[in-house]
Amino acid sequence: MTGLISGIKRMEIHDGDGIRTTAFFKGCPLKCLWCHNPESISFAPQVAKFKEKCVSCGLCGERRDPGAAEACPTGALVLYGRTYTSDALVDELLRDEAFFRKSGGGVTLSGGECLAQPDFALETARKLRERNVSVFLDTCGFVPRSVLEAAAPLTDVFLYDVKAVDPAVHKACTGRDNALILENLVFLSEKGCSLEIRYPLVVGFNDGECEKIGAFLRPLRGIRRVKVLRYHPFAASRYEALEMENTLPAPLTQKRDVENAVRLLRRFGLPAEDGTAPGRP
Amino acid sequence: MTPINTELFAFAVRRAEEGLENEPDAFAADLDIIEALLDRCEIRVLPEDRFFVRIDVENIPQKIIQLRRKRCASLRAENGLQEGFDARAHTGSNDFGHTSADWDAVIRLGIFGLRERAASCAARFTGEEKRRAFYAGLCRTYDAALRFMARAAAEAKRRGKDEMAAGLARLCSARPSTLFEAMQTSVVYYTLQQFFDGSVLRTLGRVDSLFYPFCEGEDPAFIEALTADYLEEIDRFRATANLPFALGGRDAAGRSLVNPLSYRFLRAYRSARTTSVKLHLLCAECTPEPFLAEALDAVRSGRNSIVFLSDEKIVEALIRLGEDPADAADYRVVGCYECGGRDEVTCSCGTRVSIPKALEYALNGGVDSVTGKNVGLPSAGPIGSFEDFWKEFERQLVRLCEEAMRETDLWEERDAAFHSAPILSATYESALEKGGDLYCDHSAKYANSSLNAVGLATAADSLAAVRRLVFEEKRFTLDGLAALLRRDWEGAETLRLRVKNKFPKFGTGEEETDRLAAGIVNVLDAAVNGKPNKKGGVYRLGLFSVDWRWKFGEMCGASADGRRAHEPLSQNTGASPGAAREGATAHLASVARLNAAAVPNGAIADIDLHTSAVTGENGLGALLASLRTYFSLGGFAVHFNVLDLNVLREAKEHPDRYPDLQVRLCGWNVLFSSLSEKEKEEFILRSASV
Repeated sequence: MTGLISGIKRMEIHDGDGIRTTAFFKGCPLKCLWCHNPESISFAPQVAKFKEKCVSCGLCGERRDPGAAEACPTGALVLYGRTYTSDALVDELLRDEAFFRKSGGGVTLSGGECLAQPDFALETARKLRERNVSVFLDTCGFVPRSVLEAAAPLTDVFLYDVKAVDPAVHKACTGRDNALILENLVFLSEKGCSLEIRYPLVVGFNDGECEKIGAFLRPLRGIRRVKVLRYHPFAASRYEALEMENTLPAPLTQKRDVENAVRLLRRFGLPAEDGTAPGRP
Repeated sequence: MTPINTELFAFAVRRAEEGLENEPDAFAADLDIIEALLDRCEIRVLPEDRFFVRIDVENIPQKIIQLRRKRCASLRAENGLQEGFDARAHTGSNDFGHTSADWDAVIRLGIFGLRERAASCAARFTGEEKRRAFYAGLCRTYDAALRFMARAAAEAKRRGKDEMAAGLARLCSARPSTLFEAMQTSVVYYTLQQFFDGSVLRTLGRVDSLFYPFCEGEDPAFIEALTADYLEEIDRFRATANLPFALGGRDAAGRSLVNPLSYRFLRAYRSARTTSVKLHLLCAECTPEPFLAEALDAVRSGRNSIVFLSDEKIVEALIRLGEDPADAADYRVVGCYECGGRDEVTCSCGTRVSIPKALEYALNGGVDSVTGKNVGLPSAGPIGSFEDFWKEFERQLVRLCEEAMRETDLWEERDAAFHSAPILSATYESALEKGGDLYCDHSAKYANSSLNAVGLATAADSLAAVRRLVFEEKRFTLDGLAALLRRDWEGAETLRLRVKNKFPKFGTGEEETDRLAAGIVNVLDAAVNGKPNKKGGVYRLGLFSVDWRWKFGEMCGASADGRRAHEPLSQNTGASPGAAREGATAHLASVARLNAAAVPNGAIADIDLHTSAVTGENGLGALLASLRTYFSLGGFAVHFNVLDLNVLREAKEHPDRYPDLQVRLCGWNVLFSSLSEKEKEEFILRSASV
């Protein structure tokens, strides 16, 4: 079985426990205005052009296809979206296996939305679990219930995004209704899954949702952590390189906003923390 | 020079010249010179110093070594080695600049006890005159040292330094018996060897093990203050290329040597405002996790002058070299990363080889592409496959090693004429047993020499590129590629960029290139380790390049990895600049694939990490796991440089705002503001790619 991967990042320490390798699956059903991985939104391969690296050598023939990216000598053209078999992906993801073992780390399947390529993602997760590798699954939750049900026994921890509880706010920010997302979260909780909630805080968009999110999460079981992520507009250059419309909001979110949100969520008895790594979005 | 130093220097020159004309070696002259310096040097007392006085003899002993060496100025040329040296293909020399005392003896016996021990050897031995003269010489030198200490005590007393004066007065007639006296002995000995003996001392030893026995009954607050004062006083020596101390390690039975004083030293080091003292942390599986975690926490909060070394790998490497297990277990790290066992003289930086030059000669039939001279071997015959090319490269590399060692042999055969080390020799049991000086008579149990091979990753990446361009893609003939490199890639810039940015590189965990690097290490292992030197010892291999990679790179033509002519070679044992594209874990995995047991003189991975990668509890855990994993995979040593791009950029623009910002350039720390603009730029580029 094959799937499309937009990138792989090793020695990731902010997406779960220990030292992890993260696979970014290509394609996402949501269109979040603040998306930091614009290269993972489309389900098709894309070639980005980082103009500052271009030396006008002409080897690309002014094309923007995988062949041109391969020919580009400087890395100005970058292909996002390589086809992997699940075996090849597992091999690639296990290159740091020795580091996983010592650190209590493993693999994080992320995206885009990894479960939007359900069969490929589940087969990859199964093969990793067969090798006794920890699998964290980073999901927006906008996936069929049956897929989540199949993913649950193959997943050590779900990294689950909650962007808003109010359907109108959610739709305005992501282009989708959130009923399925919230229902799926309740489902995983009731199933006894381990959950790490991610709340990306974007002032002017979903900062008014904090209290509602707290109230929604309070009765749920299995929440080991709630991370409030501070929004930064660091992905602007990739929107430009991909010739995508830059929807990134103005960078209004401050550290104190995150601290306030953390404080508020803790009032609901939630294990909330500032999940923003310095210098990173 | 001060008037008194001018006078002392004139005397030293006269005495050294007289010795060169009339005496078999430097020993007798050095005794006179050292005694004169000890008896007549000016003594100052700095208000901030707690343990010892300051002297400044303006490097007279080192100047005397240079003067004596001048007699052999044409040695290189007379022996057909000048062109290889000029091209920085191979260099050889003696090395009096990387030594360790037997610190156990120094701290246990003190200066007084060392004198007593030498005297008892003299009393027991009634044989040949040379040996008797050696023992008598040690006694005479240490008598002068004790007189110097008494003078220092009086001066300290006069300046109101009662604690210092009382300690010194006691140490003139007794072994150290308190923690203060033990630390004072350390500073006094450092002064004696460094400034009077002239053999540069490059470690303070395992200070936690050395001083811990003196801690019993001492007040914890006193220990804490003393530890901080000790480090700060050592720092004020402003030793060239830093003065290291070590913590941790294992005893001969394999048990961890970390003790409560190890933690105190670590904390004192973390908070002390030192810039030229660095720390070697000796790590083993049994080293307590909290101790390593504290050290790594110090690293990520800006204490980037800590080198982590694998105790297990060091001991393995020294035993493999033929040392007794007990001597290997009691190793010391001399200078940057060089490990020597007990009773070993490593001469760790005298001999160097440029690995990329071997490749240059394999491509050009032995002709140097920068100097145009025949430095390598003429071509052995047609090359039809990559395997043939590898053999040719190997032949050239072995030849460079042989030439480098030949030059070092020539110099070391003449050691006796250049330098003797009575102060240092008195600390070595083997020197006392044999009754000879460490340099004049090469009396150490392991009188070794070391060869460092520079530019491993540049060479491995270049070999991988030759294989692909010539033998797989068949884009060039070998001669065609050689011609292109001689033209410094002229007319082929896009190809150069493709090779540089897209071809596999050592340091990305990619097996093929890692295998080439490992193959180079195996060739060097066979060519260097265990080869006899002229001192009754053997050669040892090292794989660090420190700042030599700049000069060696300047003299190196373009290489097939996309490097332009005259650019620096790769740093130490790690990836080429900017090549570690897969991050720290991949970089460490690549370096750990090399046979580090074949590198007793040191192999070091420099890992640059962005601050964001090491923050938080998980960041610390990740650092710890990286370290443990690297050592479990077989790594030798690692240094983490935590970099923040914005800070570096701002420090370049406004050096006045960051006068204290330190970075680890190669084997030692420097102030960022002291770097050239070119070096600053390279550092910033490195930071941008992590």
